Amino acid sequence: MTDRLRRLGRRIAVAARRVLRVAKWESARASGGVDRKTLAAGVALLLVAGGVVGVGVATGVAGLDVDRDVYRVGVDPGSPYADAIEAEPSLRAVSAGRASLGDTADAVVVTVVRPGSEDGGAIDPGDVESVVVRATDTQKGEAAAASVREAVEAHNERLMRAEPNRTAAFPVTVTLRYVGRTTGFDEGTTLGGDGDQTSDSDGSTGGGSDGGDGGSDGEGGSDGDGSTTDGVGSVGGSDGSDGDGGFAVPSIGGAAFGADTVGSPGSITPPFPFTSLLLAFVFLVPMNFLIQAYGSSILDERTNRRGEPLLVTPLSPAEIVAGKTLPYAAAAAVVTTLIALAVGGGALSVIAVAPVAATFLGATFVGAMFARSFKELTFVTVGVSVLLTTYAFVPAIFTNVTPVALVSPLTLVVFDLQGEAVSAGEVLFSTAPMAVGAALLFGLGLGVYREEDMFSQKPVTRKFLDALAVRLSPVPTGGAPLDRRRLRALGGVAFLTACTIPFVFVAELLAVAVLFALPVTVSIPVLLVTIAFIEEVAKSVGLYAGFERGVFERLDGVAAGDGDGTLRVALAVGLASGTGFFLAEKATAVVQAVGLTDLFLGRAAFGDVAGLSGLPPLALAALFFAPLALHAVTTGLASVGASRGRTAYALALTLATLGHAAYNAGVVSLG
Amino acid sequence: MDSRLTIAGRELAGLRAEKTILLAIGIQLFIAMFSSFLVVGLVSMYDPGALDGAQVEVAAAGDAVDDLERAASEVPGASVTAYPDADAARGAFERNAADAVVVTTRRESGRVSAVVTAPDATVETTVIVVQLRELLRTYELNERDARAPFLEDSPLPLPERSDTSPYFTFTYTVLIPLLVFLPVFISGSLVVDSITEEIDQGTMELLRVAPVTLAEIVDGKAAAAIGIAPGQALIWLLLLEANGTSVANVGPILALMTALTALVVAVAVGISAVAPDRRAAQLLYSVAVLVLFGGATAMAGGPANAVARLAIDSADAATGVLVVAYAVIAGAAYLGVRRVVAAEGLGR
Repeated sequence: MTDRLRRLGRRIAVAARRVLRVAKWESARASGGVDRKTLAAGVALLLVAGGVVGVGVATGVAGLDVDRDVYRVGVDPGSPYADAIEAEPSLRAVSAGRASLGDTADAVVVTVVRPGSEDGGAIDPGDVESVVVRATDTQKGEAAAASVREAVEAHNERLMRAEPNRTAAFPVTVTLRYVGRTTGFDEGTTLGGDGDQTSDSDGSTGGGSDGGDGGSDGEGGSDGDGSTTDGVGSVGGSDGSDGDGGFAVPSIGGAAFGADTVGSPGSITPPFPFTSLLLAFVFLVPMNFLIQAYGSSILDERTNRRGEPLLVTPLSPAEIVAGKTLPYAAAAAVVTTLIALAVGGGALSVIAVAPVAATFLGATFVGAMFARSFKELTFVTVGVSVLLTTYAFVPAIFTNVTPVALVSPLTLVVFDLQGEAVSAGEVLFSTAPMAVGAALLFGLGLGVYREEDMFSQKPVTRKFLDALAVRLSPVPTGGAPLDRRRLRALGGVAFLTACTIPFVFVAELLAVAVLFALPVTVSIPVLLVTIAFIEEVAKSVGLYAGFERGVFERLDGVAAGDGDGTLRVALAVGLASGTGFFLAEKATAVVQAVGLTDLFLGRAAFGDVAGLSGLPPLALAALFFAPLALHAVTTGLASVGASRGRTAYALALTLATLGHAAYNAGVVSLG
Repeated sequence: MDSRLTIAGRELAGLRAEKTILLAIGIQLFIAMFSSFLVVGLVSMYDPGALDGAQVEVAAAGDAVDDLERAASEVPGASVTAYPDADAARGAFERNAADAVVVTTRRESGRVSAVVTAPDATVETTVIVVQLRELLRTYELNERDARAPFLEDSPLPLPERSDTSPYFTFTYTVLIPLLVFLPVFISGSLVVDSITEEIDQGTMELLRVAPVTLAEIVDGKAAAAIGIAPGQALIWLLLLEANGTSVANVGPILALMTALTALVVAVAVGISAVAPDRRAAQLLYSVAVLVLFGGATAMAGGPANAVARLAIDSADAATGVLVVAYAVIAGAAYLGVRRVVAAEGLGR
């Protein structure tokens, strides 16, 4: 036993040394490729651009207003509204005399002056009786009119902030508190703490975040500070039982950016973590540069058979790939840590970004293994960037809205930047699926890290099938039904299918997200069919690869009369694949249900389990195993199709999808 | 001229064989479809009241309930129910009969203090808080009006509310520029790939043996890359048109984006001549494009803003001048790079 352990240890040490050697070679080569001249040119470019933009910002020429001057508003230059329009970047003032609605202006501001006060020249703001905005009868006109209203509101807000009589300018002070319904009133909510002390410090936080909002609320904040004691007094006075209620932000809301607790109504900010979100995005930016260099490096091995010498060394493909990836992973870790230090994130941010970086690298590795040319790699890299950035970023937008946001590790970064506590279960839920996905991607790419695939110009689809088929082994037709070799082969099939689960979930999530905008009557049926299709493809594509690459015997390949055996193999692998999918699906369900019962997502997904507790055991068992039967039947069908060739596969897949969708529809209508 | 067309045709044939152009269009389709989801998500965060049917029920108690009710009648998404005292209002909140509680107290200083209770950590919290803000701001305006004689500058009367879709501005100022410029970046990247690949595989030497000049090779590659960009953009604009988003000035938009493509392609040719290794070239190209577009967008009249104004039909003579200016700059840049490359050669 100890002997074996020692041998294992030695083997690991050897492997580690080999990986490190490849890594050293790779990083030397990488720094050679991007030589000092290139680096200097890049830095110089950035400096020049930074200087130009900086000067632009300083002189007021620049501003990131993409909506600058998109609406043209006719306004009399003498009208007090001209200032308000002028101050709003998205509006461009057109002299009312020359503006014709619909042609040179989208809206016209008509100022109605109190009778008797017209004197021909400029209009005094106090003399304005009312105002009418006439807009064209188009969406654009309506949008322009709404912008005018916003511009006037902002203008008034600026006026009032300069007002010496603060009581008249801001007659209402608001104290905002968040209270959980279930916990009741007397329990202080999460971050509140107790008493006056908290309310005081909260008041100052409110002022601080106001300043951070970009100056517009700066004075409002200081005003809020002044009235803090006022507000607190009123809380204590109006209801004594609330003494320790404290001012709290929602438990998943932001502390610094989420909510001001005391201030004028205008300074209330809903719990939306805009700044944290923006900073979280900064973590994603360097990944896009990193994967470009990484993808080039992998594809470089494949052009001109450059990687061949490495392949013939005693190094295993896994060691080569690990070594080649290590410098880039290290670079990602270093950059992430630096960004975390710069934006004030902690270790949690780094941990959360790690699986994202790994997935970026893994997806690029697969892309570079499949691509036939640099051009193709460019498209693959762009695709990886776009898909992963949206997948990581979009859920994080909903950080404070729904726990489903935790499907993206970036949500953890947002939490971290907001200073929120996150449970270990949440961290695991957020990072583990992506980490597993990255590992599976590397596994997929490794399958084709061999001579016959690396240096050939096969189309992407064929290489993909190769990568899958490499993981399968032939199913013997003869012999005992529970032969060890056969069981192992079928187990391999089941495992391969089980590995598709993370990708199936991602694809289904994306399908839901994309179809979200459609009306329900269209989106539900489309969604049912799409999800059925995704699952059917996931279950049978490996089998198709097996038949196509000759791992499993095909009908045309064997002697006549043995078709029976082929059919049996097809059904057996179909059954194995369906079972693998079913088990993996249930395993994820169990993991989620156990670890995440407090999560909304867990409850939503497994509410049906809880609701069924009243049923007799037999019916429960039937309900539990119904999906197994479904998966086995549909995959068996697709498998038989796959064993007969491409057309038959497509046909069988369509049938299986329709059957699956019908089953899903039945379940939905029953539920 | 013939040899240039041949080279351009070869480039396009390569793209067609790899079917990568389909992938590019797929990516754009994904962005377009996803952005509709993104927009709904973002907008619902910024302005949840914009979503249909967001109606917030407020339980009110205290001195100024009547004024609050009056303010609620002016705000579309909020309704106020008066309760005799704070405890009754809280009871309604606890029973889920109300989404939020507002208790108002008139203070001796003349101010009104409003204690607002919103539910903690539910999906609707953001929506409720935004609607409450709207309600309280309206209330504040009314109160301010009543105190107007004490103010030095009286606030300007507000125009009436208009029904508008928050997606409208986003579509024109973000989505359309994004869709129009994505092909620009891809085209430049393609040129970098095409040139570095020829150098890497040694086929550039073969091409040089053929009776074509270096300038013609560059022309052919650039022509292919510039040629595919407006087509992709046009598909997008037509798709948007079919979806009910009318895009004005399609011609000038395509002219502007073609000019930018030529500019980016010139940058790409220059970079791949200086750094023939693909990794270095792509890295430099990305940085350069980022700098170029980041800088240009930050300037007044940047390309993104120009496209937005053209598309929404708010363009003026200045925008037209801008398009011409971009075309001139792009042409000058391309000719300059081409001359330098022809003289100095590729991949020294």
